[in-house]
Amino acid sequence: MTQITLHIHLDELCLNPDINQETILEVVEYGIVSPINGDTISEWAFDLESAYWIKKAVKLSRELQIDWVATAMVIELLKSKQQLEKENTQLKSRLNRLL
Amino acid sequence: MEFKDYYKILGVNEDAELKEIKKAYRKLALKFHPDMNPDVGAEEKFKQVAEAYEVLKDQTKRAEYDEMKRYGSNSEQGFTPPPGWQSYGSNHSANNDSSADFSDFFNSVFGGRAQGFGTGGAQQHKGQDLEMEVPVFLEESVTGLTKSLEYSIPVFDGKQSKQIKKSLNVKIPAGIADGARIRVKGQGAPVHGASDDNSQFNGDLFLHIRLVPHPLFDVQGLNLLLTVPVTPWEAALGTKLEVPTLNGKISLNIPANCNTGKKLRIKGKGLKNKTAQGDLLVLIKIDIPPTTNNETKKLWEQFAEIEQYNPRQDWSN
Repeated sequence: MTQITLHIHLDELCLNPDINQETILEVVEYGIVSPINGDTISEWAFDLESAYWIKKAVKLSRELQIDWVATAMVIELLKSKQQLEKENTQLKSRLNRLL
Repeated sequence: MEFKDYYKILGVNEDAELKEIKKAYRKLALKFHPDMNPDVGAEEKFKQVAEAYEVLKDQTKRAEYDEMKRYGSNSEQGFTPPPGWQSYGSNHSANNDSSADFSDFFNSVFGGRAQGFGTGGAQQHKGQDLEMEVPVFLEESVTGLTKSLEYSIPVFDGKQSKQIKKSLNVKIPAGIADGARIRVKGQGAPVHGASDDNSQFNGDLFLHIRLVPHPLFDVQGLNLLLTVPVTPWEAALGTKLEVPTLNGKISLNIPANCNTGKKLRIKGKGLKNKTAQGDLLVLIKIDIPPTTNNETKKLWEQFAEIEQYNPRQDWSN
């Protein structure tokens, strides 16, 4: 059986070629994600949703050649879009049951 | 193998300056980036644009590419690099996952030497992480399940990328929610050129749980919503019904004068996680019989005469 986890430590995230401690610090400072624990940076761990957004932010920043302010804004909009799409699907399903 | 005209892909002249190349890339990246453009084919187009920029932004790679372009871009038999061709950086390690998405043409010329936009350095990196959506039935999410997964991992052997099929059994824990993510360590792609797919530096597999829409229940956080159709007389007089839950039927009292949209809460019959337990919310929907015979029509008429209720009285104000 495989080993599954529901969080990821900073060191493990930094094994990704495009991610390092500095990048993660930027992503956290711009409010894109927050660590779930750890008083010092080296102790930080993230839930997997945050890990997804860290990777997405790094990818968008390099692929679209945008700075962290713009990246934070794009990520915020993408999160809102996802949330609204989810709510829209749920409301449509509930509406269909009432019709 | 088809020769890739990177200048044409970016829509710039062969003597274009770096500034111009950068401008063209930014414009096309914004247009075709899969997060911005949901159209079919946009992602593929973006990959081509990113590959072209990867080469043309780098002076050394661009010079090598220009040399290659003069050598073989017009060959009718398809493109192959000249015998003995070795890129300037072909002995460099290539761990960046960007090159995993690049074409065989790129890999044959540059040997998978994508620097991407990454930070480089001598730090040990791991292989590409993979993302996979996993549909789970609501009932399965309550009990937990072992899911058999089949997927492909990109493997780069130093010359070309290929997809290798992989299968895996993953235990999904009970109480998993829609949108939750699970990390399966070391089950992503191996590091470029690595033969051992159990290496400690394999990427991870990230599972994104998607609840399959249920025929009866909607999910709202930990609460379950059940729409219960009732007849007009059941709604008016009240009744006792059997309603389904995820673990069997239960008896439910519908109070008199229940309107469409009325919510009844049954505590503790929703979903639960490690810390909380949701409820079942029953939503009443009044359902008029589809056909009316003479007898029932008369009864409705009598009802209309006795009952002077006007649900639209606010409209006259």
